[in-house]
Amino acid sequence: MKTAIYAVIRKDFKSVTDNRQLFLPILLVPVILIVIIPTIFVLTIYFVPEEMGDLETLLSMLPESAGNAGIQHTILRVILNNLLPVFFLIIPIMTSSVMAASSFVGEKEKYTLETLLYCPLSLGQIFYAKIMASFLMSMLVSLLSFAAMILVMETEIAVMFGSIILPSLSWPVLLLLLSPSVSLIAITLIVRGSAKAQSMEESQQKAVFLILPLMLLIVGQFAGILLVSVWLLLVLSAICAFAAWILIRGCRNRFTCESLLQ
Amino acid sequence: MRSVIMNRITKIYPGGNRAVSRLSLSLNQGEVFGFLGPNGAGKTTTVKLLTGMLSPSDGNCEVMGIDPSKEPEKVHALSGVVTEHARMYDHLTGMENLIFYGSLFGLGKEEARQRAENLLKRLALNEAENQRLSAYSTGMRQRLSLARALLHRPRVLFLDEPTSGLDPESAQNVNRLIRDLAVKENVTIFLCTHQLRYAQEICTRYGLIEEGRLLAAGTLDELRRSVSPRITVRVKAAGISSDLISLLHLRKSEREDREAAGSREICLETEVSSEKEIPDLVRRIVSGGGDIYHVSACLPSLEDIYFTLTAGKEVRS
Ligand SMILES: Nc1ncnc2c1ncn2[C@@H]1O[C@H](COP(=O)(O)OP(=O)(O)OP(=O)(O)O)[C@@H](O)[C@H]1O
Ligand SMILES: [Mg+2]
Repeated sequence: MKTAIYAVIRKDFKSVTDNRQLFLPILLVPVILIVIIPTIFVLTIYFVPEEMGDLETLLSMLPESAGNAGIQHTILRVILNNLLPVFFLIIPIMTSSVMAASSFVGEKEKYTLETLLYCPLSLGQIFYAKIMASFLMSMLVSLLSFAAMILVMETEIAVMFGSIILPSLSWPVLLLLLSPSVSLIAITLIVRGSAKAQSMEESQQKAVFLILPLMLLIVGQFAGILLVSVWLLLVLSAICAFAAWILIRGCRNRFTCESLLQ
Repeated sequence: MRSVIMNRITKIYPGGNRAVSRLSLSLNQGEVFGFLGPNGAGKTTTVKLLTGMLSPSDGNCEVMGIDPSKEPEKVHALSGVVTEHARMYDHLTGMENLIFYGSLFGLGKEEARQRAENLLKRLALNEAENQRLSAYSTGMRQRLSLARALLHRPRVLFLDEPTSGLDPESAQNVNRLIRDLAVKENVTIFLCTHQLRYAQEICTRYGLIEEGRLLAAGTLDELRRSVSPRITVRVKAAGISSDLISLLHLRKSEREDREAAGSREICLETEVSSEKEIPDLVRRIVSGGGDIYHVSACLPSLEDIYFTLTAGKEVRS
């Protein structure tokens, strides 16, 4: 039974990695978000530090002691530990919704779902395997993106400024709590829509709504309304985990083969 | 042992479409059951009810003692299903697909590969096993689906038009495989088809369904007895007087009229209720001065029975 579930997970991974149209966004978005954008920030601070007026309000919210290490360092720390985490959240949302859409709606679209339902796995086990596949892919891409981001940013900072800035506690909270629960929310929303959705694009469009609150958070950051801190992330994680739990519970008995195949 | 039992099963689709209506049928282990009927009769719906893809609106069914609407996964472990809408993955090769489905049925990789190779050879697909499915033709996909359904050595096979897209050679090959499964491995086969001639070659029993209702079920002999037990006798002869023709209730055969045009011989046919009447018929033609070139006795074929039953239904309604 377990090997069958692993086989479904492995197959779902392969369907995404074999499909350039799906795999390209999964690769490109993280590269833009966590390599190119941070590099632009770092370069701007290095070459035109006086242009950072936008961040003035942000800086004013910081405790006074943070200012001691020099203004450039402070700004870099704010970018790494307060700004980037919010951008970063787009990665698990996007990866899990692309993967979930391909794994649920994509199979229906290509008439392979019916074949899968003829195997000796129960509907619950198939759902579990598919949710796991999307979740694991999302976690994998997130962790790899984080590693790539740290590598690139620390190298740049070390070369240009001669020292490094350590990521704060926000990052483990983000990577291990918030992004898993946000991924699960994205996956379950797509799964819930999958019986009705007739095409992958249609179901992915729904996931876009998840990015909206994130945009508010980003705008809030720049406007200096609220600052991402460990505490804020912890509270958000708790809320999202709770929401994910409720959504998944509601998902379990929602489907029959009949409602999926119509 | 009864391997498939349907008990007054009814399916009404959302929207009120009554696709299957109070259908009762049972199949013995090792039987090849031909399920026949015009488009929209409810054949595919019946297969989906038996495999747990649809739940019945009323009545119940059993496959190997298990209710598919309650425990579909247990039914799937014992049965193989081929339907038009059950496709496989285009981005994988034939072999990769079979190994994947094998693993779902608990076959190890090597075991699945061996079994797959064996089946692909029997279905004449072994040359395409390393091609991606996107390069397969319709008929190749259909044969691969059959291989997939057979991977785990099912006890019951549900085949919904498995040969509809196949060329005559492959269709014959598949039919031979189906019959072998029933005879040598005692697999029960539920076969929906429109190809009545093939059905007559391989099926041991038939069911005829129209508009969701079972019109008749039984072996070919039983169906013949219930529809028209009479034997058609065709005679090709010359020199028969028209008096004799009307005396013996002979009529000109439509079938061979064209062939015989221009020649002296004429083709005649009549119906008798038993073979014992044939020698007397022949004797009377000969003693009446006729020359006989050919005599044949034909029982109604499955096709004849099908048309009689579906037409009869129309007259009644
Ligand atoms: N998903 C569905 N929703 C509503 N009605 C349906 C659905 N599927 C089939 N039907 C209806 O049920 C009836 C039986 O359809 P079914 O597919 O079982 O016929 P069939 O015997 O397999 O026909 P064919 O020989 O064309 O394959 C038809 O009248 C069809 O319109
Ligand atoms: Mg059909």
